[in-house]
Amino acid sequence: MKKFSLVHFSVEHPRLIVFLTIIITFAFLTQFPKVRTDTNPKNMLPATSDVRVWNDEVEKTFSLYEDMIVVGIVNEKGILNKDTLGKVHEITNEILKLKGVAARDVNSFPTITNVTAESGALKVAPLMAQVPETDGEIAALQKMLFENPLFINRIISKDGKTTAIYVPLEKGSNGKEIADEIKKILSKETGDEKYYVAGDPVARDTFGAEMFKLMAIFAPIAGGVMLLVRYLMFRDLFLSITLMMDAMISIVCSMGLLIGLGYPIHIMSSMAPVFLMAIATDSMHIFNEFYFRYREKKDKKTAIIETMRAVSRPVRNTALATAVGFGVLLFMNIIPVKVFGGLVAFGTIVLRILSFSFIPAMFTFVKDEQIEKIAHTEDIGSDKTSRFLQKLASIGTHSPKKTVIVGLVFFTIAIAGITKMKVNNNLVEWFKKDSDVRIADTVINRSLGGTSMAYVVATAQEDDFIKTPEAMRYIEGLQQHLEKLSVVGKTTSVVDYVKRINRVLHDDDPKYDVVPETKEMIGQYIFLFSMSAKPADLDNVVDYPFKRANIWVQLKTWDAQAMREVIKAMDKYKIAHPVTMEFKPSGIAYFNLVWNDEVLWDMVMGFILALIAVFAILAVDFRSVKWAVVGYTPLLFTILLIYGVVGFIGKDFDMPISVLSCLSLGMAVDFAIHFVSRLRQRMTETQGAEALSDALLWTAARPGKGIMRNAVLFAASFAVMMFAPLTPYITVGAFIVSMMMLSAVMTIIYLPALIMLLKGWLFKGGTR
Amino acid sequence: MKNFEIQGLNFKFLVVYVLCSVLCALPFKAFPLTAEEVVKKSQEAFFYQGKDSKARVLMKLISKSGQERVRELTMLRKNYGASGGEQKYFMYFYQPVDVKDMTFMVYKYPAKDDDRWLFVPAINMVRRIAAQDKSSSFVGSDFTYEDVSGRDIEDDNHTLTKEEKLDAKDCYVIKSAPKAQDVDYAYKLSWIDKGTFLPLKEEYYDKKGELYKVFSADEIKDVKGFPTITKRAMKNLSSGHRTEVTYVKADYNIGIEDSLFSERFLKQPPKKWIE
Repeated sequence: MKKFSLVHFSVEHPRLIVFLTIIITFAFLTQFPKVRTDTNPKNMLPATSDVRVWNDEVEKTFSLYEDMIVVGIVNEKGILNKDTLGKVHEITNEILKLKGVAARDVNSFPTITNVTAESGALKVAPLMAQVPETDGEIAALQKMLFENPLFINRIISKDGKTTAIYVPLEKGSNGKEIADEIKKILSKETGDEKYYVAGDPVARDTFGAEMFKLMAIFAPIAGGVMLLVRYLMFRDLFLSITLMMDAMISIVCSMGLLIGLGYPIHIMSSMAPVFLMAIATDSMHIFNEFYFRYREKKDKKTAIIETMRAVSRPVRNTALATAVGFGVLLFMNIIPVKVFGGLVAFGTIVLRILSFSFIPAMFTFVKDEQIEKIAHTEDIGSDKTSRFLQKLASIGTHSPKKTVIVGLVFFTIAIAGITKMKVNNNLVEWFKKDSDVRIADTVINRSLGGTSMAYVVATAQEDDFIKTPEAMRYIEGLQQHLEKLSVVGKTTSVVDYVKRINRVLHDDDPKYDVVPETKEMIGQYIFLFSMSAKPADLDNVVDYPFKRANIWVQLKTWDAQAMREVIKAMDKYKIAHPVTMEFKPSGIAYFNLVWNDEVLWDMVMGFILALIAVFAILAVDFRSVKWAVVGYTPLLFTILLIYGVVGFIGKDFDMPISVLSCLSLGMAVDFAIHFVSRLRQRMTETQGAEALSDALLWTAARPGKGIMRNAVLFAASFAVMMFAPLTPYITVGAFIVSMMMLSAVMTIIYLPALIMLLKGWLFKGGTR
Repeated sequence: MKNFEIQGLNFKFLVVYVLCSVLCALPFKAFPLTAEEVVKKSQEAFFYQGKDSKARVLMKLISKSGQERVRELTMLRKNYGASGGEQKYFMYFYQPVDVKDMTFMVYKYPAKDDDRWLFVPAINMVRRIAAQDKSSSFVGSDFTYEDVSGRDIEDDNHTLTKEEKLDAKDCYVIKSAPKAQDVDYAYKLSWIDKGTFLPLKEEYYDKKGELYKVFSADEIKDVKGFPTITKRAMKNLSSGHRTEVTYVKADYNIGIEDSLFSERFLKQPPKKWIE
């Protein structure tokens, strides 16, 4: 009963409460200037995680770069002409001057190492140091390009219309900033050529930047829409603003706490304000009940106290359920998931404290006439919404069996849909089809080897083993095996260099385009190559003691699924051809696969834990496992239906969707709690004088209106997100809108049906 | 044998001593040296000591993470003409083990591309290697061919930026900016010891104006009167890769025959030169 005295206190000293609230909020606000952001998905996993430790080791061993931008240049008339080549030359030179670009290892026509035999002499040199002037020179260049398998699909497409500049980035540079600089260089060019800038850092950092922009635009718009819808519902700006403040205070406090504790704002935690805004709508029930009560009592203070007495239990318990739903995330493995869970749980608790102090206090400031005016419209009998809700509820109340059967049919269909669901994630597809990032990626992936980079690292048991013909042939075979996959565009390894040298040393005779017979030959060819090539050429594909080799696998898609296929093919080849070497995947594509899986399964685990926890809360709250089962049904149903639809429309079960499952749980359970609590309260109040069906209809009309208002409000504000340029936001918007509407309708129709059907089981003593 | 060497050494020492005294007298001329003159003298002291030379060289190529590759070779050089003129190089590799017996020969011409030949023992074949830009890596190290055999003075604009002490030695600080864009760096600063004219430190700046490569002379010993850098390092700051070079043995004016620099000896180098 402690909370109750808080309400009394707040009503007696409203000014003090409002003042204290503002002071505390300001205290949290002072932390805001310290804000740090972190948009790198890499940090989803701690630096000590296996995949990061391994990827770092691979990067170090083979002097690789974490990030690479790919600039595609397309000329439909072919790029092998003086004009286009001149531009490639010039653009490359400009890119080399950019800060953050690892200039020494930029690969493009003017810089890529070319091994050729020229008038009897072996030549290891950049492919195009000078722009060819004559037709003869261009023809020679063309010959060199298409005779060298190391170039095809890497820097020249098979049709000769596309080339690429590979721009590795120094550690810690911002991919979007460099991509913007490159775009600035490209925008100066005129002519037939089209330019595309792609690569993981571009997608990732653009997404990060867009994300923050979106949060800055869409959170306020969502807030504005909520304000408007609330105003339309209550016709009272003051109270609408109060509700808005309620949400803002909890956002400021929780974000302030996060920043104050020194955590950077991450992709996930940046979504917290929208979540909190959504959760704040639960205080709608207080307002809803207040107007009804005021109409009955005509005294503001009494109405407030009575309202709080009526709704305190469901409001407290929905808050508890939501807090627990997110709180379980604290026990997960992934730090940003933990932070996100803790953040929202904290915000929810703040919201609830406000519900029992700040909101009642604010009520006392509203003029009586104003309340009178609004309350006048709040009457079950005359109100259109209430009548509509009663009609809805009567479907369940009067034909419970039919309702349940229809539900079961839907249930079966939903299960069928869920079995169709694919677990996948594609960072580039987080952008819309017509976005620059996605177009660039599509174009380059269509004509060249691919923008998504994976590695397969071969580790032998002893030093120098990679130089043996046996190892070389094995790697060659594995490469050929991997290249059979449709998602693999190109593979490159030390074997390709050795074969190339072998051929060139023997007067460019194609007969020698094979792995040499002895270890000495291989060792000497590699040495010969290393004598004049760029150090990175060799370092990238083999380690110093020649114990490890690195196969570059260029993927044509960012689908996490593609990497899974590569790993499967690799394992299969290993089983079919046993060898003493070990093979392990690495690279950004592999990392994306791992972190997506980890976050996803962490969320799924969290979701299951939350399901159990919420069930326990329901059981405790209703003091009955039976009622908990009933209250649980619409919630579970809603979630199943939505995932069923996701499965049917072929949308991948990806990270954003998995995050949402937790929200859906936390939100949808609210409606059931309100409905069941108020129904049982009503039945106690009327002492059995009312038939169960009438009590159900009353509940649907009165607290049901609060539920409906909550759902509409929620849906309206999130509908805004469906106009966002990034697909995860559209997903979030569509998901929440459908979830809210569905779970509200489920609660109103399905709960009465279930309660009617199971009344013998639910009410031990029996009821009328 | 031993006796003869000592005698020869004594005689040569005398010659060198005389030469050296003449050289040492030069800086005392009334007017100061121009930047070009400093660079010319530095090249003489660094790349053209004696008529010929022999050095057993140990190179350690060290990656950022500390992985090492080793190159061990004997480098024979003979001058044809004065400082800045033609030179011939003969290199025999001991390490890495799988390239043992590999040999490499360079004819260096001023203002003209080098001629290079390589003997690949595994296929018993001598191959001419096309000369390309001289700023490409020397046997995969952080040193370029130019760092090993010198760069044409006329290829750069040299300016004397300042004179300062480096490790208690008076130095000229020369800025050399390539006239053509044929190398990776935009300009180079060299600290040239006023006494020996050896470069003690070189800083390479890239086209973004950032320092990215540093040369340092870490040990200088007198060999037959020639101050010789016996330990040097080149460190690439952007890749974190570095190369450490040690002259295990060095000698000058040893009478290398012209005939050594031929395809025949590439395949079968005379024992006396590669022991």
